[in-house]
Amino acid sequence: MASATGFGVYDAHQDDSKQAQWRADKWMIAGTLLMGTGVLGIFGLPLFFYGLNLQIQAGKAGLSVRPLIVTLIGYLVIIDSSLNSLGWAMDLFANHSLINRVLTAGWGAVFDGGYFWHYNELMVGPYAVGGAGAPGEKGWEISLILACFCPRLAAAIGLLQMKRWGQQWLIVTCWMGLIVWIGYNLNMTFYADVRYANITFPVWGWWVYDIFYITPFLSLPYLHTVNREIFSD
Amino acid sequence: MNSDDNKNLPLGTTEHFSNMHNWLKRALFVCLVALVLEASFSLPGLLIWFGWPTLSITEVCDELMKVRWSDDRAECLVPHPLYGANEGSGRTLGADGTAQDEWGIQPRPEYKRIGFRDLVRFRDERLLREAAAPEYLP
Repeated sequence: MASATGFGVYDAHQDDSKQAQWRADKWMIAGTLLMGTGVLGIFGLPLFFYGLNLQIQAGKAGLSVRPLIVTLIGYLVIIDSSLNSLGWAMDLFANHSLINRVLTAGWGAVFDGGYFWHYNELMVGPYAVGGAGAPGEKGWEISLILACFCPRLAAAIGLLQMKRWGQQWLIVTCWMGLIVWIGYNLNMTFYADVRYANITFPVWGWWVYDIFYITPFLSLPYLHTVNREIFSD
Repeated sequence: MNSDDNKNLPLGTTEHFSNMHNWLKRALFVCLVALVLEASFSLPGLLIWFGWPTLSITEVCDELMKVRWSDDRAECLVPHPLYGANEGSGRTLGADGTAQDEWGIQPRPEYKRIGFRDLVRFRDERLLREAAAPEYLP
C-alpha cells in the first residue's frame, strides 16, 4: 500500500489544496480590491464571501487550506490599510476635488471637525498643502501611511502566503497600532475644541464610526498565540 | 498538536487558545463586514444627511463652505482653479474675516452645527435673505 500511495498521493493532495486555495483567493482578492476603494465595497463583499465559502468548503473536503482566521486577519488588514490610506491620500493630494470636499470635509462636519475646520487652508511657508488643518493631523497622516499602513499591507500579503516574515511583520506593525491609537486619540483630545465643537456627532460619533478600525488589537492576540511553525521561512 | 483531542482544531490553534481564537474570528468577521458597509455607505449617507438630491453634489460642497467660513459669498469652485487662491483667503483673518472662531492656543470653531438636511434649510434661509436685500448679493 505504501508504495501505491506514497508521495504521489501526498503531492496530489498538495496540488489540489494549492489550487483550491488559489481559486478561493482569486475571488477574495477581487472582492478586496473593490472593498479597498470604499464606495464600491458593497459590490466587493459578495465576491469576498463567495471566495471565503470556497475556502471553507475546500477545508471541509479535507484539503490543506489556510486557517480561516488567518484569511480574515490578512484581508481585513488589507482593507483597513487601504481605507485609511485612501482617505488620507485624498486629503493630502486630491484635497480640492469635488468628491473630497464633499466626502472628507463633509465627514469632518459630521464626525471630526479636524476635517472641516478651515479645510484646505494649510500652508507650509509659501506652499499650499490644503486638506485637514487640525494641529498635528497632517503629521499623523503622512507618518502613518508611510511607516505603518504600507508595511502592514505588505505584511498582510506575506501572512496570506503563510510566510514567517508576514506573521512577524504583522506583529511589528500591529504593535505600531498601539502607538497610533494612543497618540492619535490624545492629539485629538488636546485639540478637542477644533475636533468636536459644533459638529453633528461629537466624540461618540467618531468612536462609533472608527471603532471598526481596531484590527491590530484583534490580530495581535492570535499572532502571539498561534503555533508559528505553520508559517514557513 | 497531533493528539486526538486536537484533531478538530484549526491548523496552528492549540486547545488552550481555541476559545480565544474563536472569539477573535467572530470579532474580525464583524469588523470586516462593518468596515466595508460603512465605507460603502459613507458617501451616499452623508449626501442624504446634507440634503441630496434636493441639493446637487456641487451645491452640498457649496453650502458646506458657506458654513465653514460663516460666509454667504464662499463658493465651491468646480474644478478649483489650479494654483487658485486659498479658499479661506480673506475669510479667516483680517478686517473682512467672516470665520467665527474663538482664537487661542486651542482654537474653538463657532460655525453652525449641521443637522439632518440642514444644508437645504440654510440655503432656503439664505435665498430669503438675498431676496429681502438684493444689494446684499455678492
